[in-house]
Amino acid sequence: MAGPVLELRSLHKEIPRKDLEPFKIFQDINISLHDGEFVSIVGPSGCGKTTMLRVINGLMTRTSGDIFIDGKAAEELDHELVMGFVFQGASLLPWRTSLKNILLGLEGRGHNPKEAGKIARKYLDLVGLSGFENHYPHELSGGMQQRVNLARALAVDPRILLMDEPFAALDAQTRNFMQLELLRIWRETKKTVIFVTHMISEAILLSDRVIVFSHRPGTIRSEYAVPLERPRRMEMRSDPRFLELENIVWKQIEEEVNASGGFNQM
Amino acid sequence: MNKRDGKLATSFLKIGSVAAGLSLWHMLAVYVINDTTLLVSPMVVVRTAYDMLFVTGELYPHLFASSWIFFYGFILAIVAGVPLGFVMALSPVVRDYINPWMATLYTTPRIAFAPVLLLWFGIGGGSKIAIVFLGCVFPILINSYYGMRAVNREYVELARSFRLRPWALFVKILLPASIPFILAGIRLAVGRGLTGVAIAEWFGATEGLGYLVFFAGQTLNVPILFVGVAAFALLGILGFEIVRQFENYVTPWKKQAQGG
Repeated sequence: MAGPVLELRSLHKEIPRKDLEPFKIFQDINISLHDGEFVSIVGPSGCGKTTMLRVINGLMTRTSGDIFIDGKAAEELDHELVMGFVFQGASLLPWRTSLKNILLGLEGRGHNPKEAGKIARKYLDLVGLSGFENHYPHELSGGMQQRVNLARALAVDPRILLMDEPFAALDAQTRNFMQLELLRIWRETKKTVIFVTHMISEAILLSDRVIVFSHRPGTIRSEYAVPLERPRRMEMRSDPRFLELENIVWKQIEEEVNASGGFNQM
Repeated sequence: MNKRDGKLATSFLKIGSVAAGLSLWHMLAVYVINDTTLLVSPMVVVRTAYDMLFVTGELYPHLFASSWIFFYGFILAIVAGVPLGFVMALSPVVRDYINPWMATLYTTPRIAFAPVLLLWFGIGGGSKIAIVFLGCVFPILINSYYGMRAVNREYVELARSFRLRPWALFVKILLPASIPFILAGIRLAVGRGLTGVAIAEWFGATEGLGYLVFFAGQTLNVPILFVGVAAFALLGILGFEIVRQFENYVTPWKKQAQGG
């Protein structure tokens, strides 16, 4: 088997404070993802999982540790779009139509405009928004906006997709639909995914592996392979194996929350 | 009530309000004050305006003189104000350097500058344009500055995640995000620019609407005085409307968001 697509080695992040100990966000993170793997990260609020995702994407600096992509240091690849980031808020540019939003990452990357347009359209189709290319973000529903957000990240054909609670703002029903849609798109694009969520059932339904973070400073508390076959279906949420894993993970998060001073401290 | 009925009701209210105001004005002028050196009926004003436009044609030189001064000062203010606001937003050094001057100039009444500018630029167009410019430039500059400062942080992170270069960040994110702010500043500048025209033409001018109003006031010619004031008002409405149309054109996403 080929080496890992993404490898995090002793990743550590702290924020220096004046006259105080540095504020530790997460520490000693070791994760490796192989090609096409879908890994979710769950943990109590404020455990640093979102920050970790931003550090991986270079939106924030890290204090120490290494990030390797296909065996190369992330710094060497900084100017290449090896990662696509799917933001929690769709963060679509309101002055661009959905097609132009998807084009954003393709512009200035050596495609001629026609070719870029074709690629953007392909991803618009992939996320099921054919016919909405000329709609502005405010004309789209929350679920549709997240589809554009996903298409925009995918359009640059990144090696790794980083997803930061992309469905958190959606209503429960739309969220379920989007989970299935994401699985379909993932099957078709075969991306390697890190998916951050606070929803345990979402993590289990989507992932090959679920990683549980401790309370802050975030460390990896445990890791589980999801014992469910692919393709996943909604009914699997009542599968005994699903429920068992959900219980185990929930217990751990509960312990972490209590250890950090209880729910009212969050 | 559906949207169309609502719009219709609003138009009726507006028309009703104007009609009521004009009637009140007419009655006040004719039945209460009854002194043409103090107030004349709106009908007299309309007739005077008609004469000045279509019979003697004496309004045109004033209208053109004021319009040109306004136009030059206004455009200069946009050309200078927008880039300066951007530079201030992007460079703290420039901002700290310019801020004290801006605060001083912005808060000083412009009318106080008029004699100085007249002294420097003479009584020709230069000093008048400078006065209009001073009126227009600050709202434009300040809004350009805040527009660029207020750009959603998420958009900047998005640009970073796509590894946009600084120039692409500016052109594709910062500039379009601040356009609504800039246009709001430009809209404010229309009113302030016209005030500038009036001030400029009160000092040593021989034509222009400001001169017309000033002269008519001195000679107690109330009908002409009101024609001048009305011309200012119409220029203001026209300028405002042009900016609004331009706004709808360059920010179509805003227009649709407001359902307009």
